[in-house]
Amino acid sequence: MSADKVDLLIVGAGASGSLYAAVLAKAGKKVLILEQGPDWKHADMVSNEIWGRRLKGGAPVTLEGKDKMGYGYNSGYGSGGSAAHYFAMFPRMLPSDFNMKSAHGRGLDWPMSYAELAPYYDRVAQDIGISGDAKAEERWRPPGQAYPMPPLPTFRHGDVWLKGFDALGIKTARATVGINSREFKGRPACVYDGWCNAGCPTGALANPQSTYLKEAREAGAVLKNGCTVTRVLTNAKGDRVTGVEYYDEKKQKQVQEASVVLIAAFVSQAPRLLLNSANDKHPNGLSNKNGLVGRYLMAHTGSTIWGMFDEPDVQNYMGTLAPMHWSYDRYAKTSRKNAFGSTLWHCSPAIKPNDIGGIANARNDLFGQPLADFIKKASKQLARLQAFCEELPDADNRVDLDTSRKDEFGLPMARMTHTYDADAMGLWQAGVDEGLEIAKAAGAKDYWAIRGAPTIHMAGGTAMGKSAADSVCDGYGRTHEIGNLFLSGASVFPTEGAVNPTYTIYAVSLRGAEHMVKNWASIAA
Amino acid sequence: MVAMQRRDFVKRVGLGALAFTVGGTEVMLTPSQAYAQGVPYKVLTAEEAKTLNAVCETLLPGAQRAGVTHFVDHQLAVPADQSFLMARVANVQPPFINIYRGGLGAINRSAQAMHGKRFEELDAKTQYTFIDAMRQNKIEGWAGPPGPFIYFLMRHDAVDVVYGTVEGIESLGTPYMAHIAPPTRWEA
Repeated sequence: MSADKVDLLIVGAGASGSLYAAVLAKAGKKVLILEQGPDWKHADMVSNEIWGRRLKGGAPVTLEGKDKMGYGYNSGYGSGGSAAHYFAMFPRMLPSDFNMKSAHGRGLDWPMSYAELAPYYDRVAQDIGISGDAKAEERWRPPGQAYPMPPLPTFRHGDVWLKGFDALGIKTARATVGINSREFKGRPACVYDGWCNAGCPTGALANPQSTYLKEAREAGAVLKNGCTVTRVLTNAKGDRVTGVEYYDEKKQKQVQEASVVLIAAFVSQAPRLLLNSANDKHPNGLSNKNGLVGRYLMAHTGSTIWGMFDEPDVQNYMGTLAPMHWSYDRYAKTSRKNAFGSTLWHCSPAIKPNDIGGIANARNDLFGQPLADFIKKASKQLARLQAFCEELPDADNRVDLDTSRKDEFGLPMARMTHTYDADAMGLWQAGVDEGLEIAKAAGAKDYWAIRGAPTIHMAGGTAMGKSAADSVCDGYGRTHEIGNLFLSGASVFPTEGAVNPTYTIYAVSLRGAEHMVKNWASIAA
Repeated sequence: MVAMQRRDFVKRVGLGALAFTVGGTEVMLTPSQAYAQGVPYKVLTAEEAKTLNAVCETLLPGAQRAGVTHFVDHQLAVPADQSFLMARVANVQPPFINIYRGGLGAINRSAQAMHGKRFEELDAKTQYTFIDAMRQNKIEGWAGPPGPFIYFLMRHDAVDVVYGTVEGIESLGTPYMAHIAPPTRWEA
C-alpha cells in the first residue's frame, strides 16, 4: 500500500541526508527520511569504546581485494550515520584537488572549482559551529571568512610533536574542527574527555543529532528508522522516479511515493541501491548506461607513527579524537619524489586503552605481561602522529553486487573490491619515512611506525562530473539519466584529496540542497 | 595547555551487569561475577569456554577473572546488530560464533598435533609460545580462520574486559571522565 506522497524522500539519515532534510523542510517541503538503523539519541551515546560499536557497521557487505575497505569502523548504523561517531576533523580540500585531471592528467576533475565551493565551507562553519584559525590555514588556501570559534586548546601529547615538525621545516597550524571551543548556539564547549568515537552526547561536537538532523525535525521532516530501502522505482518510460520500495521496522514491504528521491546512503549502499533498482528501461541499474555506478572507490592510507615520550604525563587521555595541530605543507600533488598525490600531517588524538585506535593496537605484536606493562607505561607517555595520504580514483576499485549473498529481503549484497596502487603505497611509505624523522627530531624516547597501510575513510562509487559520459551525476548530485533522482554524500566525490570527507560532504550538500530548493519546480515537475 | 579538570567521576560499575539465568531465575551479574559463580554459557560450549579463557588469559593477564568468556558469550547470544564485539567492527560475517568456533577448533587441533593436549592443558610457557606462533601465522598445518586474525579478535576481547571499563581505565591512574556512564546492563 502506498503512503501519502512526499515531496522529497531521502535514503539515509547521515551527515548529508540530514542536511538536505533540514534545508528542504525549512523551505516548506514535505520530507521523509528512511534510515535502516536505530534512532540514536544523545542519551544513547554512552562514554565507552565498547558501547560505541553499536553506532557502526550497518548492512553487511562482502569485502575483496588486496587492501580491503575498512567498512566496519568507517560506516554508520542508524541516525547520524558515520557522523554519529566521527571525530569532526574538518580539513578542507584545496583548489588543486578540484582539477587534477586538467592540471596533471591524473584522477578526475570535479564539476566545480574550489572558488565555487568555498562560500559553502564558510557557511557550514557558521551553521554548525567550527573552531579554527582561518588566517593560519590561509597559508595553504585562498582567504575566506573567519571561523566562528577560536581553535581548541592543546595538550602536551600534541605539543610534543612541534619540535619535530620545526626541525624538518614543516609549518603547522592549529587544526580546524567541528567541536565547540566555547558555547555556540546554546551548545556547550567541549570538556576534552576524548569520548568522541563513542558519540558526543553533550552537543559540543557537531554530530547530526546536535545540528542538521535536529533542525530537520524541528522544521517538520519525518524520520523513520528500521526501514531498509530495497529499490528506487521509476515510471513505465523509465525517465522519472516515482518513489521507493522499502521494508519497514516490522519487516513489511511498503511503497512510498515521492516527487524527488535523494540517495544519501554512503559509499557501499548508494551504488548497491542503484544497481538493485535495475528494470527493463535501466537493465544495468539506474543512471548506469556508462557502467560507472560503483566505480572509483577510494580510501586514505594513514602513515601512523607512535612515540613514547620520557615525561611523567603527556595527558594523552585528554583532548578530542580530532587533531590539535596539522600541516598541509606536503599537500601539493607533486610533494613526494616517487608518488603522486596529497598528504596531510596531523597529531594527536586522545587515546583510550582499547578499540581500533587504542593503546593496545599501538603495539599489536605484544601480548601477555609485556602487553600489560606497555599499556601501563603508554597510558601516560604515548602520543600519535599520522599522515593521511590520497588515493587516486581507479575504475577497478569498485562496489558491485555479490549475487552469491543475499540480505534478509532477498537482494544481493554490496561487494567492495579495493587495492591500493603504487602511488598510494608510495605516499604511505614517504609518510612513514618522514614521520619517523619527525619523531626522532621531536625527541621521542621510542618511536615506531605501524606496518601495513590501513583503509581510512570511504569515498566514491557514484562520482559527480561535468559530462554524462564520465560520471553518474552532476555537480548538484542530479543523476544524468533521471532528472528527479539525486545522490549525495561521500559517494559523489570524484577524488578525495587527503582530507577527512565530512566537511566537504556538508559543503557540497549545502550547495546541492539550495540548488534543489531554487529549482524545485523544474526538478519535481 | 589546559589543566586537566577531574570531574564527572562515576561510580565503579565495572563491565556492567548482564542478565544471567541462575536456577531458573534471571539475575543481574557482571561478567566477572558470572564467571566466579560458574553461570552456564548461552552459546559457547563449556569446552570452548575453557579454551577461550586460556587463550585470553595468555593474551592479557586478568582477562579470565574479568569474565571474558561470559562477556563474549553474552555478545554472541544477542543479534549481530546489537553486539559489542570487535568482530562487528572488523567486518566479520555474522553469526559471530562461527569465527570463534572456527578459531578455537583450529587452536585445539594444532595444540593436539603439536603437544598431544588441548590448549588449556598446556603449561603457561608453551601457551605463550603457541600464541606467538599463531599471531605470526607460523603454525604448520593450521586449519581454520587465519591465526593472526583470531589473535587480533581475541586480544581485543581481552583488552576490552580488562581495560575498556571504568575500573580498567582508573587502574591505569587515568581519569574515566564519562558524560554518560556505562549502564548497569549490557544489553543494547
